[in-house]
Amino acid sequence: MNMKEYSTQTKAVETETTVTLTVNGEPRQLRIPPNVVLLDALRDRLGLTGTKKGCDHGQCGACTVHIDGQAINSCLTLAVMCEGREVTTIEGLASDAGLHPVQQAFLENDAYQCGFCTPGQMMSASAMLEDERIGTDDAAVREAMSGNICRCGAYKNILAAIQTARGQMPTARKEGEVS
Amino acid sequence: MRSFAFSAAENVDQAIIACESNNAEASYIAGGTTLIDLVKLDVMRPERVIDLNRLPLKEVERLDDGRLRIGALVSNTDLAHHPLVTEHYPLLSQALLAGASTQLRNMATTAGNIMQRTRCPYFRDVAAACNKRDPGSGCDALGGINRMHALLGTSEHCIATHPSDMCVAMAALGATLTLEGPNGIREIAFGDFHRLPMDRPDLEHELEPNELITHITLDTPVVGGGSHYLKLRDRASYEFALASAAVVVAVEDGVIRDARLALGGVATKPWQAMEAEQALTGQPAKTESFEKAAEIALADALPREHNAFKVPLARQAILRALEKATQAAMNS
Amino acid sequence: MDTQVIGHRTPRVDGEFKLTGQADYTVDWQVRDMLYGYPVSASIAHGTLKTLHLDTARAMPGVVDIFHHGHFPELYRASKNQVSEMRLPFEDERIHYDGQYIALVVAESFEQARAAAHTVQADYHQEEGARTSLLDTNQEGQLLESEGVSRGDPEKAFDEAPVTIDHTYDIAAESHMQMEMHATLAEWRDERLIVHESSQGVVYQHKAMARIFGLPEESVEVVSHYIGSGFGNKLFMWPHAVATAGAAQMLGRPVKTILPRQQDMESGGNRPASRQRLRLGAKQDGTLLSIRHDSTTETSFVHPYVDSLGSATPSLYACDNVAISQRLLEVNHGTPCPMRAPGETSGIHALETALDELAVELGMDPLELRRRNYAKNDPASGLPWSSKYLDDCYTNAAKRFGWEKRNPTPGAMRDGDEVIGWGMATACWPAMRLSCSARVELRDDGSVMAACGTQDIGTGTYTIVAQTVAELSGVPLKDIEVRLGESTLPAGPLSGGSMVTATALPAVAAALRNAFDALKEVATGENGAFEGCDPDNLEIEAGALVDKQGKRVSFGEILSQQKLGSVSGDGQAAPGDEKSQYSFRSFGAHFVEVRWDPGISRLRVARVVSSIDIGRAINPSAARNQVEGSIVMGIGMALTEKLDYDPRDGRLINNNYADYIVPCHADMPEIDVELPDNPDYTLNEFGARGVGEIGLTGIAAAIGNAVYHATGKRIREFPITLEKVMDT
Repeated sequence: MNMKEYSTQTKAVETETTVTLTVNGEPRQLRIPPNVVLLDALRDRLGLTGTKKGCDHGQCGACTVHIDGQAINSCLTLAVMCEGREVTTIEGLASDAGLHPVQQAFLENDAYQCGFCTPGQMMSASAMLEDERIGTDDAAVREAMSGNICRCGAYKNILAAIQTARGQMPTARKEGEVS
Repeated sequence: MRSFAFSAAENVDQAIIACESNNAEASYIAGGTTLIDLVKLDVMRPERVIDLNRLPLKEVERLDDGRLRIGALVSNTDLAHHPLVTEHYPLLSQALLAGASTQLRNMATTAGNIMQRTRCPYFRDVAAACNKRDPGSGCDALGGINRMHALLGTSEHCIATHPSDMCVAMAALGATLTLEGPNGIREIAFGDFHRLPMDRPDLEHELEPNELITHITLDTPVVGGGSHYLKLRDRASYEFALASAAVVVAVEDGVIRDARLALGGVATKPWQAMEAEQALTGQPAKTESFEKAAEIALADALPREHNAFKVPLARQAILRALEKATQAAMNS
Repeated sequence: MDTQVIGHRTPRVDGEFKLTGQADYTVDWQVRDMLYGYPVSASIAHGTLKTLHLDTARAMPGVVDIFHHGHFPELYRASKNQVSEMRLPFEDERIHYDGQYIALVVAESFEQARAAAHTVQADYHQEEGARTSLLDTNQEGQLLESEGVSRGDPEKAFDEAPVTIDHTYDIAAESHMQMEMHATLAEWRDERLIVHESSQGVVYQHKAMARIFGLPEESVEVVSHYIGSGFGNKLFMWPHAVATAGAAQMLGRPVKTILPRQQDMESGGNRPASRQRLRLGAKQDGTLLSIRHDSTTETSFVHPYVDSLGSATPSLYACDNVAISQRLLEVNHGTPCPMRAPGETSGIHALETALDELAVELGMDPLELRRRNYAKNDPASGLPWSSKYLDDCYTNAAKRFGWEKRNPTPGAMRDGDEVIGWGMATACWPAMRLSCSARVELRDDGSVMAACGTQDIGTGTYTIVAQTVAELSGVPLKDIEVRLGESTLPAGPLSGGSMVTATALPAVAAALRNAFDALKEVATGENGAFEGCDPDNLEIEAGALVDKQGKRVSFGEILSQQKLGSVSGDGQAAPGDEKSQYSFRSFGAHFVEVRWDPGISRLRVARVVSSIDIGRAINPSAARNQVEGSIVMGIGMALTEKLDYDPRDGRLINNNYADYIVPCHADMPEIDVELPDNPDYTLNEFGARGVGEIGLTGIAAAIGNAVYHATGKRIREFPITLEKVMDT
């Protein structure tokens, strides 16, 4: 295999644009070139480093945030596409009243080790618990959570934490409840 | 990720004009799950990216003729859970939910799924020879590690697998794509949309450079059909298929009245096994008929060094999916 | 020891930081004027770099500089044991593996650095004969005399044995796949080098950096507060750290480099592929007469890493005739390094698989075979074990699993479409302890700070240090601050070898006791709360000093009264002569159920029951989590994990999280882990032996043995991907 020759001329100009979005309830403005993904914008430009980069290709789930309430991979989302959207990151999960039930359940169930995939796990879990289209039994939770890799392998405790949190969330359906 | 210019289109016309009026290499973006991935790897190098997300293509509606029209921008998640899909096309729902992860399905769109690129590692590696990425450079997969590669529809220029699950269900169900471009609107059968690699693996589909998919219309559901999508892979979730089978069968008095069969993970495009479908029709809904169909479906399989196991694996997927679909048909 | 905090499960003291996104991992650090580094990797495995084409990249927006051979500081090499790769970045133009750095682009933003790196073109002189994997060659490698062990006459015993087994076991190279990729932030301040590194050994990196940059040790500081795990590949630093620090030095600005996942997998360490020949000789009753274990592992051409595969074998079973040998073969891919339970994970895998084969040959229950050869003392040293309850582990786990219901005939146990397979294996890992220092500060606000230059890689070190302080001081956990992960703190151990617990806690305890002495001196001194009192008559109770009359004054009050902000104690702790009296190892047993659906070639691990004796678990929930996580990692090792190097050119083709398959949520079986509480006070005063690694040993073998039981097929090349077992 040989390194292929490619044109190295770059025609497009890197121009910055302004993006206005809501992050954790606060309106924020970003001045960024188009090739910045939401993950890097949050981390490098807004100082919200709780969202993690584990693969940068949508293959691990560490970068999971909510856009308009849905869990997405922020590493594959251009920040310029978030104009007018509501983004929630791990920094916005807890409220003045304290930890989110998912955070509290992760704490109590020791649902993490190194903690690096954990923000993504919790963002997926919190969105899933509010999504009535996803089943409530263990198998459905495992399947729905499979986009979040935990290399430490804390899956057992993560599952236990999610099912514990389900009971603490007024808006979540109970385990075994059919949608 | 190299730099590019960006604009967001408000409607289909704007999207087409934005693409057409610029002689730079342009790419549409919807979910972004393929494009951004590949731009980061330097495999795709758009100079201009046009955001389609504001286009009003997010509806799922039942047409008067009983077909189901799906807007190009309906997310994989929304489509999988849409009541009209779960009721009339459970196969599609099953296939969608077998693909990717919750997050990716939330982002990925119906048309984007159709446009997704292969996972061939040599395609994804700019230092490797790949006729799809760099026409005429050769194919490093042929003599390389090709465990994940295709058996059907391959050529000596490309053996890359089409990665979609959703498309396999669509190939079985039958669908029509609505395309819109500077010359107006046209329709194309789903089965004619993806091209075989032949000697131009870089030409993956029939879409013109400044055309876009606006709708996907599923054929009317098979009356009294049972269906099953079976995906076989190394781990239990969040992985591309080694082999998958999408089956719809309608059974009357123990005889197959109508059969649909498509394969994933083993072909260079979503693979409708038409001859096998014909062979099943009118036969008893029994193992012997299923085995015959599997044999026909895989008769042209051309294994390479590491993927020979996919022939029996695809056979197993076909047999089990036919069994399950038949049971579903009997129970319906 | 009757304990209040130690041995009791408690939420992690760093939990809220991790759960709210506040924990400062290396990748999260940003400093003023910081630049971003992005490495460019070689795309050949063997040859020389002829020309680098950098003009396009240099002209791109934001690009500050590009470092490469000929444009990089002249540095010194560190020693073999200080770094993961001795070769310095850009040292010469030789290319030893695909993925080796040939340049580092530095730019104002991450996007600019990456975009420019993609435009860099290289011309190479590619040479023939790249050796792409141990498993793709017949070459034997170099025999390492230092790794050899022999007792008795294993050859003769084998030849005379009535029953023998002679098989070869291959294991593919694996990737650590730690979630946080290797990352360095290097900053030079007044000739001082400050490095933030995702590191399992800040003190070691500190020394290595000082040596490489020719600096006095006090001029280097390495920080690693939170680590997105490592599993061994962050024990010793890699060339990206040197490249980043060198770039920062030349530019006079801080530089942060986070390896992309692809480069992390290519050049940031791996568990080397291995080939092992096991020869066992036994009597008809199962008594082992001979064990010969001959291994070969890979290393790179730039660093001689030895994964010691045979090190557990002489100690695991009673057998008079044992021989171990190891060879090392250099290959053209990234340098391997320790990966969780290094050496023994692979070695025990082969031994435990061979034993299962022997059990089949003998028609004996595999558990019974292991009991038959139970080693009451360490057969390698002849010393008694410090504490060994492996027989209890066998009994308890077998009972919880339901092993007695096992039908020994392969394929005989079915459930619908699925065939059930049950297998077991022994787990084992040495219990190590090194010397360590620590410091504890008692503060006037009643809080306590404990500091040690070790790290918490997710195992729970912050928490167990706090528990130790809480246990001995009676101060509640919420008032205890633990500082780890800074090389300027008293020197602590690598987070590796499962030795931090046994090593660091005694040092923390010693420092705390010295702090107590300092506090008593203050309390009994002039105007002190216990002025004139004999310090020996003061007891520590719930964060206070108490005298014989029952007078009690809290730590904070004692200090406030004397207008002191704090008192501190430095402590050292080191192993004594216990190693001359005992052998130290932890033991355990895994029992596994696999489900095999031959109709669709689907193989899944359904259930794992393990009993792992680690002495005292300081925090049982965190300890159990370690074993459960090891089991998950072992499932990957057994069924899916394999670095695919293209045999034509050594290029890693599955260099990402989608193509290198690790277990996901849906793969998780039912897991039942028992940690019998048998404190081992001969190793340290807390009775703890460490838990990070033992759970991974034996698990892949137990799975393979279960697969044999389900399918009747003995797979000797791991991982067991489905094509190896399917019916065709």
